[in-house]
Amino acid sequence: MSNSHLFMKSGFVRAPLQNGVGRYVPQLQRIVLKFCKTHGGSRGIRDFIEQDLVEFAKQNPSVVVYLKPRRHRSPVAVAEYLNGDRVWMSLHQKSHSEITKWIEVLRTQQGDVSATRLRKYQFTDHPSIQGPWTPFTFKDPELNVAQLPDPKFGANDRLPMTATDKLRIMFEKQKISEDNVKTGE
Amino acid sequence: MAFIRRYLPLVTGGFKNVYIGGQRKEIHRYVAPTLMVLKRREDKQGGKVIKPRNTFLEWNLEAEMYAFGKRLNENFDPDLLLQAFTDRSYVIKEEMKQKEMEFDIQMKDNRNLAEEGRKFMKQYIQLYLEAALPKFPIEGINGICDHLMSENVLANVSLHLGTKDIILADEYPVDNTTLANAFVAIVGALLHSSGEEQTAHFVRDFVITNLQGQDVNEFWHIEEPWIMLTDLIAKTGSNLEPRLIGEVGKNTLLACYRVGLYLDKKMLSSGFGETIATAKEMAAREALKKIFGTEENQYPINFKLNGIPKSSSKSRYQVSAS
Repeated sequence: MSNSHLFMKSGFVRAPLQNGVGRYVPQLQRIVLKFCKTHGGSRGIRDFIEQDLVEFAKQNPSVVVYLKPRRHRSPVAVAEYLNGDRVWMSLHQKSHSEITKWIEVLRTQQGDVSATRLRKYQFTDHPSIQGPWTPFTFKDPELNVAQLPDPKFGANDRLPMTATDKLRIMFEKQKISEDNVKTGE
Repeated sequence: MAFIRRYLPLVTGGFKNVYIGGQRKEIHRYVAPTLMVLKRREDKQGGKVIKPRNTFLEWNLEAEMYAFGKRLNENFDPDLLLQAFTDRSYVIKEEMKQKEMEFDIQMKDNRNLAEEGRKFMKQYIQLYLEAALPKFPIEGINGICDHLMSENVLANVSLHLGTKDIILADEYPVDNTTLANAFVAIVGALLHSSGEEQTAHFVRDFVITNLQGQDVNEFWHIEEPWIMLTDLIAKTGSNLEPRLIGEVGKNTLLACYRVGLYLDKKMLSSGFGETIATAKEMAAREALKKIFGTEENQYPINFKLNGIPKSSSKSRYQVSAS
């Protein structure tokens, strides 16, 4: 997501009101279809209204469908959701099948999703399941019975290896391999 | 208004150019100044006016109420549902209007239904929580119940069920009190239309599920966890012993102590803190959570208990009484 999208309202992936924990509530509450009865730009939506609308209303009794004919203006669908979002969509010059698909999108989404910038693609109420970190969280159990001070636990093992040490190790390795070669003969 | 209507396609057209099919385009330079002018004019007119949804041409109260019932999968009595949506403020406003026009139609507001609904909800939530959290003391259950019945929670539930536009009140948008009141009244209306069990399931599905993902211990503040714990342990006759089991960074700003509580020489819980006293208190809180069965890793609360659970208040122990 680039910086130019920062003007969009931001949000997380969340189900509204624990939807589905108790029972599922369809989130589209009403849809208003505005169209012209004569203009060519409204042809697709007129077909949709004639052929599919009654079936749509029958299958979704939870959605209130309003039809609003207006003379010589382009067709529009306005969907209103339970969380208060209102989605305005132009259906100008759209064909019947396109409109069927867009109405399906409006019916199944839970709000104005396309105008939301997701901050993350996942969400959790509990970012940590082990609680806050303390110095005792990953403590070595061996320390419980150790008699301190002990050179084993007190040694400083955080310094990087010195050049002298590296040379010494290389030298010892070489010596061993030379010995091996000799015994091999 | 005519100006806004004329320029709205312009503005929305400007926004549409932001992101089309994967390639980015710039917002036109006229968009920001136009919006600024529109905002200035709006402010001059006295702020943004939100018109009530039910004054729109496309509004049918009957259809809205039918869809409301279908959405929630409940069968409401239409008259009762209308009554539940009628706020007291609306009735007063209508009566004033009727006095001016000199006629009289009786209207019912939702106060009675709200009272019934509230009473039922309180009772049921209490019983449900007692069944769902069997080891949690009565004070804690009361705390959770108060949280669930609080105005904010009920208003949020009400808003997300779509009552905002349907409620008949003298103001719009309606405030939290009206929203919460309407929800409680809807519960009351359901109680009359579908009976107790159906209403109980409604309350369970929309109100009690608000506990999902929440820590139930947060709704009950324990002032003195150590005293409460010792009182509880004293009844059983066991021996409780706190031990310092870790200390780091003594006499520094980042000191951390760890105290373990041992019950008959077996570890019960442990807590940490910046002083020994806080560590001991945290350990006591941890131990109480274990005793009450509300640890962080507890099994999620069961939201699928059917019917109205039977009361167990008499056998349930009260912490403060001991």
